[in-house]
Amino acid sequence: MSYDTNKNYYYKRHGKVLRLYKFRKNTLGPVDSNGRVNSANADFIYPDEAITDGLRIEYTALTKPFVDEDPETTADASLTEATSPTELSHVNLNRVLSLAVVEYLKAHMAERKGDVQAKEYFMKQFYNKLADNESNRNNVFVTIPMQPYAIR
Amino acid sequence: MMERANTRETKLAIAFVKDAITQIQSTHEVVLKNDKQSIVEDQRDYNLPTDVIALDSVSVLDTEDGNKYKRIRRLMDDPLVSEDKDLG
Repeated sequence: MSYDTNKNYYYKRHGKVLRLYKFRKNTLGPVDSNGRVNSANADFIYPDEAITDGLRIEYTALTKPFVDEDPETTADASLTEATSPTELSHVNLNRVLSLAVVEYLKAHMAERKGDVQAKEYFMKQFYNKLADNESNRNNVFVTIPMQPYAIR
Repeated sequence: MMERANTRETKLAIAFVKDAITQIQSTHEVVLKNDKQSIVEDQRDYNLPTDVIALDSVSVLDTEDGNKYKRIRRLMDDPLVSEDKDLG
């Protein structure tokens, strides 16, 4: 019997748990000792109903980090996870993100050698590649019609 | 990848690759998982999945509108709750 759940429910992350609240708005509040009625009585309560599979949480996780086949050429559903990854395993990312991971590896290898400047340089490259990947997803193609008297 | 990073330490490289993917997943939604739980009357706290890196969205089922999951909003502060139950 849940309704308008996008307006009535709110959440807050609290460490490893998610706190769920329901917003309750009453048209009339209780009558006080002077006989006055508060017309705007709204407050938060805990969920007042049971809903089977009512809460859905979407999140990012470390899913199949290494796979046996090249993820660029194989459909994601048919990729099998490499549980004991070797040098021949593939990283389950696209090309640009794989290059970003290479920069991350270089940065941490440089840090192990005590070269902090190189580490900072490669980490900057890592974030640049992440930004490239993000901007590649947001390409917008704009078509501008040619003016009838434009010089061609 | 190890050749490009100029390393021969496989275990260390694997650990760093996992760290890199975790770092990427904390800010970019490369792969999303979802988890469903039943809402229990008068229960405030629900366990997050153990493998959460970053939350993308939280939705609650609207049974009056064709059983659709509707995305709910996050509160910035703890609200003042009336009818607070004893959580034990």
